[in-house]
Amino acid sequence: MEDVLFRTRKTGKQYPGTVALKDIDLEVRRGEIVGLVGENGAGKSTLLRIISCVEQPTSGSMEMHGRQFRGKNLLEANLMGVGMVFQEQSLMKKLSVAQNIFLGREKSFGTLTFINWRKMNVAASKVLESLGLKDILPARKVIELDFAARQMVEIAKVLNLVGDRQEGCLILLDEPTSVLNEIEIKKLFEKMKLIRDQGNSIIFVSHRLSEVIEISDRIYVFKDGQQTALVERKNANEDILYEKMVGRSTSGEYFKVDRQTDPGEEIILEARNLALKGYFKNVSFRVRRGEVLGICGVVGSGKEEVCAVLCGDDRPDGGQIFVNSIERHFADPAAALKAGVLSVPKERREEGIIGILSVAENISLSSMKAISRHNVISYRERSNRAKEWIAKLNIKTSGPKEHTETLSGGNAQKVVFARAISGGENKILILNHPTRGVDVGAKEEIYLLIREITERGIGIVLLGDTLDETISLSSRLIVMKDGLVLAELEAPKDNKPSQVDVVRYMM
Amino acid sequence: MTQRISGRTILDNLPWLSLIVLLGVFTSINPRFVGAYSLANIFLVAAPLLTLSFGATYVIMAGSIDLSVGAIVSASCVIYGTTFPILGNWSILVAVVFGFVAGSINGLLFIWLRIPSFIVTLSTLSLWKSVALLLVGGGAKGIPMKLWKGLAWADLALGIVPLLFLISLVVFAVFYFVQSRTALGRSVYAIGANERAARMCGLKVNSTKFWVYALSGIGSGAAGAFYSIELKTSLATIGDPLTLLSIAAVVLGGTPLTGGRGSVLRTLLGAMLVIIIQNGLNTVALDVYWQQIVFGAFVILAVFLNSEKGGRTLIIK
Amino acid sequence: MATEENNSGTKADMITTTVADDFSERIAAERTRSRIVELGPLLVMLALIVAMSVFVRGFFTWNNLAALLQQIATPLVLSMGLTFVLLIGSIDLSLEGVMGFAGSIVALLVLNTKNQLDLGVVGILIAITAGTLFGILSGVLHTRLKIPSFMVTFGMGSAITGFGILSYRGIPASVNDPMFAHIAAGAFLGMPLLTWFALVVFFIALSIERYTAFGRHLFAIGENESMVRATGINVDTIKVIVFAWAAFCSSVAGVFGAIKLNIGQVIISNGFLFSTITAVVVGGTSLVGGSGGVVQSLVGVIIVTMIQDGMILLGVNAYVQPAVQGMIVIAAVSLTVARGRKLVFK
Repeated sequence: MEDVLFRTRKTGKQYPGTVALKDIDLEVRRGEIVGLVGENGAGKSTLLRIISCVEQPTSGSMEMHGRQFRGKNLLEANLMGVGMVFQEQSLMKKLSVAQNIFLGREKSFGTLTFINWRKMNVAASKVLESLGLKDILPARKVIELDFAARQMVEIAKVLNLVGDRQEGCLILLDEPTSVLNEIEIKKLFEKMKLIRDQGNSIIFVSHRLSEVIEISDRIYVFKDGQQTALVERKNANEDILYEKMVGRSTSGEYFKVDRQTDPGEEIILEARNLALKGYFKNVSFRVRRGEVLGICGVVGSGKEEVCAVLCGDDRPDGGQIFVNSIERHFADPAAALKAGVLSVPKERREEGIIGILSVAENISLSSMKAISRHNVISYRERSNRAKEWIAKLNIKTSGPKEHTETLSGGNAQKVVFARAISGGENKILILNHPTRGVDVGAKEEIYLLIREITERGIGIVLLGDTLDETISLSSRLIVMKDGLVLAELEAPKDNKPSQVDVVRYMM
Repeated sequence: MTQRISGRTILDNLPWLSLIVLLGVFTSINPRFVGAYSLANIFLVAAPLLTLSFGATYVIMAGSIDLSVGAIVSASCVIYGTTFPILGNWSILVAVVFGFVAGSINGLLFIWLRIPSFIVTLSTLSLWKSVALLLVGGGAKGIPMKLWKGLAWADLALGIVPLLFLISLVVFAVFYFVQSRTALGRSVYAIGANERAARMCGLKVNSTKFWVYALSGIGSGAAGAFYSIELKTSLATIGDPLTLLSIAAVVLGGTPLTGGRGSVLRTLLGAMLVIIIQNGLNTVALDVYWQQIVFGAFVILAVFLNSEKGGRTLIIK
Repeated sequence: MATEENNSGTKADMITTTVADDFSERIAAERTRSRIVELGPLLVMLALIVAMSVFVRGFFTWNNLAALLQQIATPLVLSMGLTFVLLIGSIDLSLEGVMGFAGSIVALLVLNTKNQLDLGVVGILIAITAGTLFGILSGVLHTRLKIPSFMVTFGMGSAITGFGILSYRGIPASVNDPMFAHIAAGAFLGMPLLTWFALVVFFIALSIERYTAFGRHLFAIGENESMVRATGINVDTIKVIVFAWAAFCSSVAGVFGAIKLNIGQVIISNGFLFSTITAVVVGGTSLVGGSGGVVQSLVGVIIVTMIQDGMILLGVNAYVQPAVQGMIVIAAVSLTVARGRKLVFK
């Protein structure tokens, strides 16, 4: 019977309106590498955050070494033997490697806040050496290191934080390979094996299935917040994993597939060889009148950045954008709006609505000319339009004057939609996770709205909340992985590609 | 049925409530406070402060700061005084145009260089202060008395309300109109409330930022002219206390420094509050030195009361 | 099936290299920029020394260099305080206020023309302590009430100035204490005593910055405050100490001012806020925190003092100097600020 290092029992996480995790019974044995795979939103990151005590579970419990495991914050998790290497770096660039490793615990190296750096460096060398990192000098400032080295220092730091335990500790790695090249990935895997062989365990999350299969001893597959499979390494292959990752397709009725508009001939948006350094390259596609073009890809595939470029938020390093066959350069979203391109942003509270302004005001923000007569805003017109949209979209609010921040997610999202289509002049909408955090009823209304928009000839570029949603809503799909477009698939209403077909390219 | 009075409601109405209370307090200490002479004086002193504070309001509502207002006023005052002997009352135009140019420089530097507004305006403050001192050779230069006839129009009044004050009310009306009824005005609010969202909505963020500074400059330019007209001098140091006073006017009126909310109407109240406090403290013969302390404390208090405790980052942490 | 997978496999390799390469390019660019910011000011200083020695008459003389040494005392002390504040990403606009206040108080505590007190060195210590206490107050208001440092120090600065004026009720005290005259005129090994004191403060600051955990934490807070909090480090206490230190330095500068002018009034501090910000920024300390240091500020102070001195020697009108400083600040800041396109700056 293998030693169980860490275990979750029926762990769940519920947010108001959505269930992120449900009934997770995960087991990590001593001295093993557990892989964790799943689509966007499957719950992988949420689980990692819960295990590292950055967030609290809403149900269930966890155990470490057979004893109850619960902590209020990251520090407590560290003290109990769990460490996490975040995707966003946590190292301080102007501090040395040693200073980063021992950040907050300098006391043992000096007196009265004066620190003997040499002593600390020696200690740091030992830590680095235990990971086989002999060529990283502890006195060097982090900014001098390249990314792979920084990644290693992060791992060393976490390892050192959770302590030199006889019983072994648990290290969580969240997409550590996203920006590493082949050689660096190999090195990383070597270190991971070293850590494992020392009696520790690792949970490894990556969207690159080939990697996960290569390094993991066992693999958990997550889907829609639940674990759907546990596969031993010897039985694992990509096909099996794809199958388990992908949900049962929801009925077309839910997504109003029957109302999917047949795209016209006219090309209203074209991208040619778009590139943004470090994010994506050689991205080309066309959007026709009334078409919904869905972009599929995992986090980090570059699809978010493509959207940012399309709506003017970011300027591309290469390539061209054509709106109605005229080449455009968007200096900012205002310029894009002028050309008829507008986005519904992903982060509703931060980028979508302006909370302290009223509903009517929010709705009018992208189309102020339409409510003005000779450049003077008419409050009556603004209010009337707002009332129209409130009725049309069934927005639950006390009235046009209500502060938008008090609206629920779904209703706030409808306000954003109203803003985007209110002017009537927009030709292309970029929808970035339009149904995120929205309840089921409102979702259906938004799907209907999307069909109505396309019926009017507006073209949509869609980043869906789930793969299912993206496939069902779109008439064409492009799949991105690691910054490139790997596939382009037709998705006519009577012959939608299966999720497995698409996931294959994503991972 | 009792109506709940929320903390917010009290705060929102605090400015004009304070105004009334203070008026009452000062008048009871010295009944001459509401005498015609005293009031007329208050209006006269208020006029330039009002004019320059309206533009400052926009800047603050947009979430930025303009530390150079005082210096622009000084430079404008000097420019007016210097050109008046040559151009007569057309100098007002010169002063206003100068203000526009100064404000535009602030706006352009802010947008192009993408550095915090307080650094930009701190730097231009030095610039305009230097210009003011240079033009006047160090201190003050009076407008020759024989030309004072040309300024007689400024002494006109409607009852006890001086013409200059009425002009500042006209300026107020314009600013109020812009803030409530134009795309520019609404953009100012949006940007101050949530710049990222405002940008994603397709609002012209850079253009708006430019114009708030340009308008602030125009207000300051006009104020400088007012001072020169009132004092009949070119005074290069007139603007020194004005930056703090204009911020105090905005803040005491209830406009939060975090931006996104507020109104020039509030600033109107705030400026009157400032003047009344100043005059009132004078009338009750409180040490001038206490005024500085009082203002500093008031400003901190007002900012605290109006700030959103969510810890939104302001100009710099 | 197999061929398909092979193809996507190789393509995947290509992809990985591309994105990874671009990323390392960005990291390398960041590193280069950091080096430029670190070394740039030093090179500028050296270049300036050479240029001024050659082109400005009277620059490279014993007299002038002696004068320069004297002039850097006050800005150096002030910049030590401001550097730490900038490192954590805050700002201290009460610099002039505290300086003026301390200068006013100290003049009233040593032998002077307004009262009977003659506290000597104790008087100096009291003045410095009083100023430092205001710094603690600012720090507490900032951390407890979450009022941005900009606003707290702005208001506090105004209030402190008021207290300063109040202390002498409009008629400043003139100092009669021989100790003051002695310090003002004194020199040791060719360098004025005040400059020595400033250097002592500099070395204290340097030791704190380089050899204590506290110093390292300043950089960390400036770079990623939430991560530092997550580590369990008491960030609020550190911030209060930083503001106290800044006020301490400003108070010391105020005492310097009183010593130099033999009089205690608030206007001795006029203009120093701006020139200190200029010096620290020109030296390479970032306004958003996380990078820079006291050595950089020393270089910045030398550069700014040399430019001021040069302008005087060249006969440039005194009123033009602040304007020139203004432009220098703008140039220096715009060169060093982060270039995110989507960054919201206020």
